Amino acid sequence: MIWLLSGALFWAAAFAVNVAVARSRHSARRWARVFVPALFGITILVVWECLVRGLGISPVLLPAPSAIAARFASSGEILWQDFVQTAVKGALSGYVIGCAAAFLTAILVDRRDFLRRGLLPVGNFVAALPIVGIAPILVKWYGFGWESKAAVVVVMVFFPMLINTVSGLGETSAMQRDLMRTYAAGYWTTLLKLRLPAAMPFVFNGLKISTTLALIGAIVAEYFGSPIYGMGFRIQSEAGRLSMDMVWAEIAVAALAGSVFYGAVALMERIVTFWHPSQRSQR
Amino acid sequence: MRSVLPVLAVIAAIIALWYAGALALNAKWAREQAARSGTELSLTALVVETMNQERALLPAPHQVLAELWDSTVNKRVTSKRSLVFHGWITLQATLWGFALGVVVGVGLAIAIVYSKVMDMSVMPWAIISQTIPIVAIAPMIIVVMSLIGIEERLVPKAVISAYLCFFPILVGMVKGLRAPESAQLDLMRTYNASALQSFFKLRLPASLPYLFASAKVGIAAALVGTIVGELPTGALRGLGARILVGDQFGPPIRIWSALLAASILAAALVATVGLIQRITLKRMGMAQ
Amino acid sequence: MKKLLMSAAAALGLAGAGAQAGEDLTLQLKWVTQAQFAGYYVALEKGFYEEEGLDVTIKPGGPDIAPTQVLAGGGADVVIDWMPSALAAREKGLPLVNIAQPFKRSGMMLTCRADTGIKSPADFPGKTLGVWFFGNEYPFLSWMSQLGIPTDGSEGGVTVLKQGFNVDPLLQGQADCISTMTYNEYWQVIDAGIAPEDLVTFKYEDQGVATLEDGLYVLEDRLSDPAFEDQLVRFVRASMKGWKWAEENPDEAAMIVLEYDETGAQTEKHQKRMMGEIAKLTAGSDGTLDPADYQRTVDILLAGGSDPVITKEPEGAWTHAITDKALK
Repeated sequence: MIWLLSGALFWAAAFAVNVAVARSRHSARRWARVFVPALFGITILVVWECLVRGLGISPVLLPAPSAIAARFASSGEILWQDFVQTAVKGALSGYVIGCAAAFLTAILVDRRDFLRRGLLPVGNFVAALPIVGIAPILVKWYGFGWESKAAVVVVMVFFPMLINTVSGLGETSAMQRDLMRTYAAGYWTTLLKLRLPAAMPFVFNGLKISTTLALIGAIVAEYFGSPIYGMGFRIQSEAGRLSMDMVWAEIAVAALAGSVFYGAVALMERIVTFWHPSQRSQR
Repeated sequence: MRSVLPVLAVIAAIIALWYAGALALNAKWAREQAARSGTELSLTALVVETMNQERALLPAPHQVLAELWDSTVNKRVTSKRSLVFHGWITLQATLWGFALGVVVGVGLAIAIVYSKVMDMSVMPWAIISQTIPIVAIAPMIIVVMSLIGIEERLVPKAVISAYLCFFPILVGMVKGLRAPESAQLDLMRTYNASALQSFFKLRLPASLPYLFASAKVGIAAALVGTIVGELPTGALRGLGARILVGDQFGPPIRIWSALLAASILAAALVATVGLIQRITLKRMGMAQ
Repeated sequence: MKKLLMSAAAALGLAGAGAQAGEDLTLQLKWVTQAQFAGYYVALEKGFYEEEGLDVTIKPGGPDIAPTQVLAGGGADVVIDWMPSALAAREKGLPLVNIAQPFKRSGMMLTCRADTGIKSPADFPGKTLGVWFFGNEYPFLSWMSQLGIPTDGSEGGVTVLKQGFNVDPLLQGQADCISTMTYNEYWQVIDAGIAPEDLVTFKYEDQGVATLEDGLYVLEDRLSDPAFEDQLVRFVRASMKGWKWAEENPDEAAMIVLEYDETGAQTEKHQKRMMGEIAKLTAGSDGTLDPADYQRTVDILLAGGSDPVITKEPEGAWTHAITDKALK
């Protein structure tokens, strides 16, 4: 009972603090923008802990955050090995190959209007497919190692990236393209100096979407066959052994890795597309 | 004609590549089997053999279409062996998940636009939520559901589906609700409009194009979510279950026909949303 | 208004009395509906449960469904599980108790391609072996530990793959050996076109590392409830009746199982063959757990060397209380 009460109290107090910060004159400052969501996250963890202890939930069903943290600390090596296998070898390599391939295909397709009109509808169709269903087939083709996971990621990120890049390449106005012609700029100069920079906001949109797809794709692909390490494997086999704290530790690693990845791409976006209206502060 | 011809050309090229791939990938097994029975394979015999394998690495297009035909037209719609039956199960969960995702996404979006504290605290976590591998949580959701007495497998599937689709809808709605220019918002103030009136007469209509755009992404994500929800939960019905079963026990060609059925379903759903978008926006005078 | 309420209450009362005809009991299977669980489906179809006054719901399992977790979450009253997984769960804090053991023998084996040159377990080092996980890896890990072959990728060890539940890794050459059950995957390999002469098999029974497989488990604290205990007694009695009927009528049992298959994926040929093989595993058991078999399983699990499945001798992990009353 005490646990439940203190959990409720903490939540109320944290909410009050957050409301105060949000309404104050500091709300636009960087420290406030980090503090408020951080406190929100901490509140969720505290309430979770209080609920598990207060309601006496079995650790086999839902472990408390303190147990997960303990497991996280003690299993560092296993978590790191899994992370390298899935996130670095599987997701990252697939991401790089997939995005590069999509980017190059978009540029190739850009030259021939015929190809673009044919490829884009097909691309839209394929992008809507449940690509995860392809995972068992790719495991059969590429084996159990990280190659098949990278292959799944390539297929998953290729089409959203392709669609975004092609849309971006069409972003320039007729006036801007005419201006380049008056400068006697050829196709490649126009591409490099006008159309590609103009396409960058869309390209980065595609890159950001692809970061989440990449990690999820690599983890799901492991469900269909993997060596005995890797995040998807660990989640599945530890769930079978009822070690739910390990499962949640892996989930925490996945969330952390995904967020860092997304944040890195967003940072690069800030640097490259500093001129775009979306980079100004929110209304 | 102008846009149909290129699409047909691309599809024809894909099918040609597919047949070539089938020949290349299935050849190894065909040769091994021939060696086992001590026979030699001529080129024509090899081609024929690779196009008709039962456990082909890459089934030829005609094999997949034949299996698709067999599982849909040749079976009673209510039979457990019918793809239509399984497709309906998946569709139900997808629609419920989509509805839930729209409610949550739109609700959160309104909260985020109107409340500073929600904007600052929830938005970053919504982004982080998409990095959590939902497949890992799926079995737990099922256990929690049966704890609180819900035995229907539809509910956890819909929850996972909603989890994957609420985010695009949330992002789209936030963008859409913030789309009206300052001049238009000021105009509403000069009319002495209350917050509620301003919402229903300005913000909401302005957000509809964005809502439909993200709804298209959202419904595809909802379908993926349902299928992903069926995979780790050992589901018995639905297209994801068919993919799982095809991988584990049945002939592998079932994976392909289930995937094709899923793609057709995805395309149909996105097209339906597109149709609703066209009709609604036209009637509102916002045709794009 | 009063009259309406009174008659409604009376109607509900009558309905309630009628519905008490069968007491509800939920059984969670270890895997999907197949002849491996024929005894229970036969008991359901032939009305053995109904005769005992039970209304049994059979929940099929599948990949990623841990019967122990379902039991912990209250999704089932009785589960089918293999003993190593149940003992490991018990050590983790989930108090499972074995109440019956219909399967006397183990059906697990390692199937290798003859062209890999493997002739005996001594040839394993350096090869790639496929193993299921999710509770099925314990017998394999114990065996490798006893042979002194490391599985973590170090020198002189084997490379372990987490195989799915199909036999493609063997067919496509991605693994030199895969784990198979005598009643299921082995026949999938044969069906795919590989002749028995091209395969080398190692049965866990022959290697002396067999552990007990399908058994019935419940949570310990529920056994102290006499009403529940009575339900279990009737359940075990009807289930064993179902098993013995299935052993004597394998083909009909296979057809009954097919009736209940929700996925529509099982075939008659496969199920009839499976039932024939399962009958070999259940023969010789009337449902009572043989303490000698139990001890053998525990010893194998404890001898796991550096990574034992269980670290100490389990206590109170099984009971004869139910089978004594059910089978006397």
